Amino acid sequence: MWRLIATRLAAFVPTVLATSLVLFVTVNVVPGSAAKAALGIDATAQAIARFEHEQGLDRPLHVQYLDWLGKAVRGDFGTSFQNHLPVGPELVSRLPVTLELAILAFLIANAIAVPLGALAAYHHQQRLDSVISVFATVLGAVPSFWLATVLILILALTVKVLPAGGYVPFAENPAKNVSLFIMPALSLGLVSSALLLRVMRAKMIEVLSSDYIHTALAKGAAPNVVIWRHALQNALITFLTVGAVEFGWLFGGVVIIEDIFLLPGVGQLVLVGIINRDYPVLLASALTVTVVVLAANMVVDLVAAVLDPRQVHARSRA
Amino acid sequence: MSAEARGHRRQDRPPVLGIAGLTIEFATRRGAARVVDDVTLDVWPQEIVGLIGESGSGKTMTALAVLGLLPRTARITTGDIRLSGASLLGLPEAQLRTIRGRQIAMIPQNPMSALNPVLRVGAQVGEPYVLHRGADWKTALTQAVRRLADVHLPLPDERASEYPHQFSGGMQQRAMTAMAIALDPPLLVADEPTTALDVTIQAQILRLLREIRDEHHTSMLFITHDLAVVAEMCDWVYVMYAGRILEQGSVERIFARPGHPYTQALLRATPTGEAAQAELISIPGSIPSPVDLPRGCRFVDRCPYRFKHCDEEPPLLTVEADHTARCWLVETHG
Amino acid sequence: MSVQLAQRERHWVGRSAVHWRRFRLLLIGGCLVGLVVLSAILADVISPYSPYDIDVAIKLQPPNRAHWLGTDEFGRDVLSRVIHAARISVKVAAVAVSVGLIGGGVIGIAAGYFGGPVDMVLMRFMELLFSFPAILLAIVLMAVLGTSILNAMTAIGIIFIPGFSRLARAATQDVLRQQYIEAAHTVGMSDVRILTREILPNIITPLFVEAMAAFAYAVLLESSLSFLGLGAQPPEPSWGNMLNTGRGFMDQAPWLGVVPGMAMLIGVLGFNLLGDGLRDVFDPRLREAA
Repeated sequence: MWRLIATRLAAFVPTVLATSLVLFVTVNVVPGSAAKAALGIDATAQAIARFEHEQGLDRPLHVQYLDWLGKAVRGDFGTSFQNHLPVGPELVSRLPVTLELAILAFLIANAIAVPLGALAAYHHQQRLDSVISVFATVLGAVPSFWLATVLILILALTVKVLPAGGYVPFAENPAKNVSLFIMPALSLGLVSSALLLRVMRAKMIEVLSSDYIHTALAKGAAPNVVIWRHALQNALITFLTVGAVEFGWLFGGVVIIEDIFLLPGVGQLVLVGIINRDYPVLLASALTVTVVVLAANMVVDLVAAVLDPRQVHARSRA
Repeated sequence: MSAEARGHRRQDRPPVLGIAGLTIEFATRRGAARVVDDVTLDVWPQEIVGLIGESGSGKTMTALAVLGLLPRTARITTGDIRLSGASLLGLPEAQLRTIRGRQIAMIPQNPMSALNPVLRVGAQVGEPYVLHRGADWKTALTQAVRRLADVHLPLPDERASEYPHQFSGGMQQRAMTAMAIALDPPLLVADEPTTALDVTIQAQILRLLREIRDEHHTSMLFITHDLAVVAEMCDWVYVMYAGRILEQGSVERIFARPGHPYTQALLRATPTGEAAQAELISIPGSIPSPVDLPRGCRFVDRCPYRFKHCDEEPPLLTVEADHTARCWLVETHG
Repeated sequence: MSVQLAQRERHWVGRSAVHWRRFRLLLIGGCLVGLVVLSAILADVISPYSPYDIDVAIKLQPPNRAHWLGTDEFGRDVLSRVIHAARISVKVAAVAVSVGLIGGGVIGIAAGYFGGPVDMVLMRFMELLFSFPAILLAIVLMAVLGTSILNAMTAIGIIFIPGFSRLARAATQDVLRQQYIEAAHTVGMSDVRILTREILPNIITPLFVEAMAAFAYAVLLESSLSFLGLGAQPPEPSWGNMLNTGRGFMDQAPWLGVVPGMAMLIGVLGFNLLGDGLRDVFDPRLREAA
């Protein structure tokens, strides 16, 4: 089992590196844009040249990247064009917010998707399945930021049950902290749950038509035994792998959600970087969000592998 | 077993499995598909009864009906299935569940896919104890090890804590057998249990099944497409084609004097001396569609001896004592 | 085996029911998409007012007989703006999907056809691009390229390339495995000829189905970008920027926030259903994939 974990971790590092390279190239690909962003569109050619020289932007791209990488590994993500403060500490202070949002959204998404997906699969080709499937299709088409707006309208403005935005650290006031995360996590989690539900349903249907389920039935197992003891684990193994990817795609929306709910997370920092044309900030924060997604993928992948005895134990004997 | 011996048993008590006039239909776009048509079949105590036919003959549907596991879209339109005299049809699902695994057990064709990949073998073999005897898992696992030993699996306590993918094909089928005999059911339904196995392993499994019949007094409904297996294993055989029983009787009599041209063709295609692996029996033509069944004899399109009377379907006619065949030629030739 | 037989029977029996229901998906999807596309094409004709006419006197009116969806903070008719916004969404989506289709198609076919190191390098790069959260990548690209509709089309198009490339590659490999390519080669057909004659027709169906899903996603992405102010700029109406400004008036005029979102929902849902419907009609094999 430890070999499993080690191999996944080993694959993770090059992926992160490659990701950082792609982002770095993307951000710096347009010549002169960084300078224009920092100095303004009307900056003179001389000012641009001086700026680029100071920032080391006139060096070849690969040199710049290696330089950046070397510093990044030590936690130095450069300084903001905007306020000339180091980016690293800002990232660190914002990361817990984004992580809390990610975990809560993920939990909500799975708490809805797994039971409902299994239920729909069990009642395949009957009414309950159709109802759940339609519900999932429609919910999956809802933009998360619109859902956020509607939730605010209903829960914060009309019924006035939850606060509309802001952040309070968990240590300071657990109840307030959670109440501030409910709507953001729902906005991201509900839409994800719809997509995950369809995956879980598909996998469960596949599993329920397997021979080993037939064996369980032939042994006289009741439906709940069939689902819980025989079907669920098998379905989860493939569901988790696919589901993680789907969730990752949606999690990019964290940028918008943090903005709407005034959550001081890394996603918000991405927007700050964009608005201020602050490339070091943009690069570092975009990379962090992506790494969070990649890490989540890896963890879920690992869980799926651990659940599968065929991966954990040695292959068949002759 | 001779017809006399079987007839002797008949006086004692009802058959372990009594299928009477069973008809199973599916609703399709083009009308009702009758996949099992008025099938009557008996399995007596300690008998191994063969049900032989090609794919599409309806033999698997019959097995599913016995277990009460027909797909939702199938309907039993007429007939009865009785277990030791008590009818299984119309029983509530909860009661059927007490019968499955305890009175009737199944040995499937493909043991690799029939075993749950995420559960240990011991747990799967021991599960019937938990399901039907209210045992705790510790007891169940102990019993499982015993059963694995019964099917001659070496080092059963070690094997019990392993997973199916760590077993070979032969070992897997032994485990499935252990699972089936766990609660000493009076009836085993074996659906092509050796088709997916190596020739050498086949022989071992067949021997194991005969042993079980001898030592545990279990009856078996043995479904296959392979006449060689029937010759080796079965006391009595029913030949099934396009949903109908075409011939039935003791194995010796049928092999010595096959009454139906279909059975004769089967015997020619796979001589009993050799173990045949072929899935497709090489008789020209194909089975009639269950939606579009002919009014006369079902085999008429492929029969070399067809004549005018064949457009009226024959009943099961007596060839000799307790050997009947559904062919007009039986009358004429005696 | 017994289960498979039962399944085979089940599929055979259920087929008539399945087909009828699937045409229903296609129809509903088609209607929704038709609504959106027609709005886009005929915006000038069917809008009751101009989307740009400011009339502060009637600002922030709830839906009424003169203005079926009310008016916004500048007194502009919301319905007209929603209809015109469809134009942006459809335009951006169409170009983006085309970019993705062509780019992904070329890369995928090349990877599948040439195999070996070419395949490996291309697909590794595609995998990498694919692992980025889409919205994030779009945002970063827009920040770098500058906010304009053209750039939005490009950015979203780039995001779609990996998905299409994967599909094109699989289909290419599928086709290559079949023997008539060997036959074509021996007869002396050039590589390009083989590509166009044999490979393309087989790839069309799955690519088209995927394109519909991409359309849906493109609408969502374009809305997200304009929500953040990175897409269509005011006074151009786009569902995203309408939702963004509407957010600021949620307590006074909630319809300003709700309506654009409904339009987005219709667009995304419509394309999704259309894609699902097409898939089920033309290639039910694809259905079990997530």
